[in-house]
Amino acid sequence: MLDYSLGIPEVDEITGGVPKGTNIMLLGPPLTGKHLLIRHIIYHTIKEGDSAVLVSTRDTGDEIIEWFSEYLEEEERSRIGIVDCVTKSLGKNIHDKDVVKYASSPVDLTGIGIKISQFFEEFIRRRQIPKTILCIDSVSTLLMYTNIQTLFRFLHVFTGRVKLAGAIGIYVVDEGMHDDKSINTLKQLFPAVFEVRTDGEENHLRILGLGSKPTPWKRYEIDGVEVVIKSGE
Amino acid sequence: MVTTGISKLDDYLGGGIPPGKTVLYYNHPGVEGDIFIIHALYHNMLAGRKSIYLTLSSDPQIFREEFMSLGWKIEEHAEKFILIDAYSSLIGATSGEEYVVDNPEDIGNIDRIVRRALDDSDENLLLCCPLSAIMDLCGVEETLKAVVGWNKRVGDRGQNIIYHFTAWPYPSEVLERIKEELFNAVIEIGGIRERVIFGQYFAVVKADWTRATGKTVLFKVVRPGGVRLYIPKILVTGPFNAGKSSFVRALSTKSVSVDRNNTTVALDYGHVDHKGMSADIFGTPGQERFDPILRMLSSEAMGIFLVLDSTRPRDFERAKKMLEMARSYGLPYIIIANKQDLDGALSPDEIRRRFNVPDDVPIVPTIATEKKGVFEAFELLVERIMEDK
Repeated sequence: MLDYSLGIPEVDEITGGVPKGTNIMLLGPPLTGKHLLIRHIIYHTIKEGDSAVLVSTRDTGDEIIEWFSEYLEEEERSRIGIVDCVTKSLGKNIHDKDVVKYASSPVDLTGIGIKISQFFEEFIRRRQIPKTILCIDSVSTLLMYTNIQTLFRFLHVFTGRVKLAGAIGIYVVDEGMHDDKSINTLKQLFPAVFEVRTDGEENHLRILGLGSKPTPWKRYEIDGVEVVIKSGE
Repeated sequence: MVTTGISKLDDYLGGGIPPGKTVLYYNHPGVEGDIFIIHALYHNMLAGRKSIYLTLSSDPQIFREEFMSLGWKIEEHAEKFILIDAYSSLIGATSGEEYVVDNPEDIGNIDRIVRRALDDSDENLLLCCPLSAIMDLCGVEETLKAVVGWNKRVGDRGQNIIYHFTAWPYPSEVLERIKEELFNAVIEIGGIRERVIFGQYFAVVKADWTRATGKTVLFKVVRPGGVRLYIPKILVTGPFNAGKSSFVRALSTKSVSVDRNNTTVALDYGHVDHKGMSADIFGTPGQERFDPILRMLSSEAMGIFLVLDSTRPRDFERAKKMLEMARSYGLPYIIIANKQDLDGALSPDEIRRRFNVPDDVPIVPTIATEKKGVFEAFELLVERIMEDK
């Protein structure tokens, strides 16, 4: 019985789905479309009738909602909550809306934490939506504004909240931007890793830490909101 | 005395914050507590006190606009409100503020600017500071060392500092030092949690100039308005036709009535916003056939209004019985002597005699249909609920 799914059937077949309370690192080099993978996972979650909280450090809330409006109806979009760390840091003042809440800047982990909590309360307690996912795109950008100990403490709290709430969390980390020590520090918090790599021409993905062994590398392409696994290695 | 900007909190602190004292808001992650700092800054500005804020994670202009989102204008107090800008340099922007920290990752730089701001002011000064944000940037030990210096300085000069601290999982010795040693007062801000945080509270954990009450107060943040004390459930009960629904409607800013044939068949619900307090009130139906659920309805309630029709003393026995059912948890209550406008209405004193009401239970005369007496009753019950905890 699947608790959660990342929306890629070929992967679910091998791993048996994602148990609630799992925190997953989405790790890969830059330019491998990790933010599109996140959008795919969110899309799939929404289509299942569940909710998603996305902390965004690079795209504004408005941009993301507009992107989703091509694929999701208004009721479906109302189950997405975006914590926008971009708009206010550009000097633009703006008030929290239903679907987008604003943190002062990527430095403001306190504020980001408050907005995540508010969305969790809205979706889980008030609207009683049974399942919720938390995505942070990206942890690497947050790390640019603070140090690893501070970020670790923040993630320690929120990976814990994800577990307590029976949700799952997916956290984007750019490989090559951090030293091995930092990555290993972070890995303590993420029992599962969704790894992507590129050979220049094609992208591959695999999952470690869900199920008894890693999935094999699979070639994939992203088409809008769909992740299409290509046959062959 | 410096005000916290929240009158109940000032009460618990013995009137406010005396000169020279330092206060820490110990804020559990995820709970909206930085707003307490904004309350303090604004209300001290209003009182004519110079108020300085050190901003580290927010653009200064955006921070000023936070006041506006609460409905507070700060333009008239412009000379009283000053920002120490430690944010702009972090993102490589230039700053127009009076005090600028060029290198926010260097505690020595922050320390110099803070001391200059303290020295430039007389004893009538409140400085507010995001403690954990500075610790995260400059290092825990270095920051706490500087803080000890700042606290001593204001202690000598009669100035005040209020710190905001997000209680991330720092090492336990650090948290202990912060909670117990470094500050004259500590106010905890936290969440009441099941799977997620669904209620917020503040509590005075320590205040070395007054007897710390340890009382926990629930609150909500509304915009505009700010921090509102919050009571999640007050029951309005009493015999059939005593005027419970009218009472709920009269008190409420928003209310929902559930009635059929002019009588309540489920729960009346109302939300009250009055003088910095917020409450959700629930009116029960009066007929006996609903009694089995009365006990259930009163669970999680924090107080009770017992509404009587003052012209019908023969219903008082029924009222007593309902009160016993609802009070199985020993809740604070007050009696509403409603329908005072009608002929034959007994006065509160007469009711007290005939009903054998203990002297310490208030009986408030009301005319619910004209909203008379209802808010006095509300304030009285909230007082009792706050004392009771």
